[in-house]
Amino acid sequence: MTYISPRSTRKYDLSFARWVHRHINGGDRLAMCMQCGVCSGSCPLGTTMDNGPRKTFMMIRAGMKDDVLQSDTLWNCVSCYNCVVRCPRDVPVAYILHELATVAVREGYVQAKRSATNKFVKGFTWSYKTFGRTDERLVSMFYYFQDGLASGFKKLLAFRHIALGFLKVGRLPFGMPHSLRHRRELRKILAAAAAIEAQPAKGGR
Amino acid sequence: MSTRNTGVYLCSGCGIGNAVSMDGLKNVVESEFKKSCKIHEYLCGDEGLDLIRSDIVEGMNQIVIAACSPRAMADRFRFNSVQVIRANLREQVVWSHPEKTEDTQMMAEDNLRMAVTEAGKSTAPEPQFDGEHSEVIMVVGGGHSGLTAAYESARTGYDVLLVERALQLGGMARKWSKRMPIHPPYQNPQPNTVANLIEAVKNHPRITVKMGSTVAKTSGMPGKFSVDFSDGSSHTVGAVVLATGWRPYDAGRLKHLGYGVSPDVVTNVELEGMLAEGRIARSSDGNVPEVVVFIQCAGSRDSDHLPYCSSVCCGVSIKQALQLREAHPDVMIYIIYEELRTPGVAEEFYRTCQRAGVIFMKGKVQKISSSLEITVNDAFLQEEIPLQGVEMIVLAIGMVPNSTNVEIESQFLDEEKLKLLSSDVNHYAPIKVAGAATEPITLSADPLPKGESILNLQYRQGPHLPMLAHGFPDSHYICFPYETRRSGIYVAGPVRRPMDMGESAEDATGAAMKAIQAIRTAARGFALHPRAGDLSIPRINLNPCTKCRRCTVECPFGAIDETEQGFPSVNVTRCRRCGTCMGACPVRTISFTNYTIDMLGSMIKAVHIPDEMEEKPRILALVCENDAYPALDMVGIARLSFSAYVRIIPVRCLGSVNLLLVSDALSAGYDGVMFMGCKSGDDYQCHFMKGSGIAQERLSKVGETLKSMALESERVTMAEVSIADSATLPKVIQNFVEVLESVGPNPFKGF
Repeated sequence: MTYISPRSTRKYDLSFARWVHRHINGGDRLAMCMQCGVCSGSCPLGTTMDNGPRKTFMMIRAGMKDDVLQSDTLWNCVSCYNCVVRCPRDVPVAYILHELATVAVREGYVQAKRSATNKFVKGFTWSYKTFGRTDERLVSMFYYFQDGLASGFKKLLAFRHIALGFLKVGRLPFGMPHSLRHRRELRKILAAAAAIEAQPAKGGR
Repeated sequence: MSTRNTGVYLCSGCGIGNAVSMDGLKNVVESEFKKSCKIHEYLCGDEGLDLIRSDIVEGMNQIVIAACSPRAMADRFRFNSVQVIRANLREQVVWSHPEKTEDTQMMAEDNLRMAVTEAGKSTAPEPQFDGEHSEVIMVVGGGHSGLTAAYESARTGYDVLLVERALQLGGMARKWSKRMPIHPPYQNPQPNTVANLIEAVKNHPRITVKMGSTVAKTSGMPGKFSVDFSDGSSHTVGAVVLATGWRPYDAGRLKHLGYGVSPDVVTNVELEGMLAEGRIARSSDGNVPEVVVFIQCAGSRDSDHLPYCSSVCCGVSIKQALQLREAHPDVMIYIIYEELRTPGVAEEFYRTCQRAGVIFMKGKVQKISSSLEITVNDAFLQEEIPLQGVEMIVLAIGMVPNSTNVEIESQFLDEEKLKLLSSDVNHYAPIKVAGAATEPITLSADPLPKGESILNLQYRQGPHLPMLAHGFPDSHYICFPYETRRSGIYVAGPVRRPMDMGESAEDATGAAMKAIQAIRTAARGFALHPRAGDLSIPRINLNPCTKCRRCTVECPFGAIDETEQGFPSVNVTRCRRCGTCMGACPVRTISFTNYTIDMLGSMIKAVHIPDEMEEKPRILALVCENDAYPALDMVGIARLSFSAYVRIIPVRCLGSVNLLLVSDALSAGYDGVMFMGCKSGDDYQCHFMKGSGIAQERLSKVGETLKSMALESERVTMAEVSIADSATLPKVIQNFVEVLESVGPNPFKGF
């Protein structure tokens, strides 16, 4: 992406809303937000977010750029798309949050490497690249043990009740992970997607 | 009517015959009143009507029909040149009380007695034609509402006299660049078409335009208002439509919002001027502003300024934001609102504005610095947001009605006159009941609107039009739109309530129709709404008159003037026939031919009062026929039941009930008297505006009368009944019955 959002010395920046409107995918629909809160209410992680999508949108309008881009709302989205489906004004909520997260990384507001989401995504990506499918056991292991053995075992122990519960009802299988038959094809698709991503984004609308 | 020839007809249909003894009723008429009486089982059917018609042919000229409520079958029981009096046996007796009981029978007999007595004291009013009537409609104000009222009246075939203070037609609307959408899809501003309307009015042969003049004074009544103008000419007109419009609220008082502090703070009216000119620029440097903030409710919904919502400012800001965005696509626009109100179909308009990227912020402006930094308390974020870099602020200011001409000093009024006028003109002033020894009225800080009256009415009650609230001269904008409390004078457009051009066009058309009605009814001697079609006229016998002036003071419509000798004189077509004057008169000298104090008093006495040993109390209910009486009918229709000890007399308005009737009733042996009428006070429902308020005020003085008769004050009460109260009404009555049972029987029984 070539567009850098306006940087300002102020905490409140009136032109930030305009920038989002022009340069964020779906940002033009953001103007239609009527603050009903259906997005935040529908969000499975809404209660764990610091602001939630509704408030984030109002903060964008108020020009609170720093607060928006430092918020964990952008990172806690699990892409369930409940908000997108339910928004009465057709605001693509999740898409806007994703793009704002990239902006936040690009402009140095967050250290992507240190975010838990990033660590999880790494495991997720490794799994589907290797097997063509995600294997929950391996993804979890990958995620737990990234910070070293000690913290990995600690996390494992913390979740042992859940693991035992799964085991009891037969939801935790042993054996090799299932894998995709045509893994080579998948890799080609992924390579093509990466090539597209690497191209500079087209300018605003 | 030469001599009364009364026939009484009893209907036994609709269950009446099963519930009460028809022979018993017939016996009452024949033995007590010596009148002919016929029973029919289906009186409103063709056969029953033929029975009545054949008697009319033989010389019957007054008919008492004891059947359903007078509100039912009124069309069937209407006969040419014959007075019809109704006794309510169906809704208020047999449908609301158990069959074949002694109490029900007594109630039916008493209702019949009251109706036959009423017939003996009542004469049908004759239509009165009173000389020449003018059919010209005078429209005051040549703005959008006035032009529409004039044009629509003229199109209906009436001559119009359009009076405009300025030398140009079009008023405020002439200055607008564009108007809010009035056609589907209601999304974008539309061209201002007022110039076409001005042309149409100028070219219409029925419209006379009088420019550059104001009304000097108005006297007379509907059908013959005599109007003098500032240029010395005078005209006779039939009805008046007041469409003097509005003026913007004085922004100079909005210093806290930066007006006058920074040149870049403008009002929405000033921005409209820039838009019409096609050049939007900051006054400070002449540049196009890059960030514009609209502040809604500037000086509105604020107890220090305009306490009300002007309803159009939100739409205007949306329109102006869209126009700004169209002219300069790079301008950042913020609209800061507390509640964005888009009445009508403006919701689509609002969405268009959102789609265009205008940013709406809900919150209250805390302060505005001289460098135009706005601090907003954002309602969604719940924190104070400082908006910096703002280059222009537009204050969305509200509308003030031009109910007076503020350019002219108001004429001097002494304090006594001011008090009187204030109680009639200012909605919040206490209602003054003349003659009663009450605590003195304290004048409110702002007894009258500033400036001289526009019409300068030569009425007993002063030159001003009464105000409903906040200086808007309306009477009741839900029940009686366009009406003032002066018959034949109608208000239209923003002088009545804040509104936009689309609404004002509708309003003006409605007021024009009302004006036409006023002219037509005046010519035929009818009363106006709500007693439309009533021919009766208050007659005042001046011999016993003591010139106490209560009638002239209390008339809610200012219909009664005073002669030079101080006697009251009724302006017939101003009168709405509510009878408030009749209720006010201490010497019972005001009456209608078919509605007098003597008649009501005789009806009260016609009821048979059982003696103390029978333990059957009697309660007189004086019931307003506008809302309370139909509510009582609905009790019967819903087959609910109320106490059979109540005897109901419908009255035109509680204002028409003279307190002498209360002492009449109590000395006749009734155990209690109950007034049932409409709600009074700020949000009154009285069909004659002040009637129920006046009754309540009078009733508060009845304690002394009761004391002089050595009776308990609990014996008289008033219930506010709305048309929807039928479900709770039986309980209200029952509570009063229980109060009376605890007080004990009236000691005057049997005297």
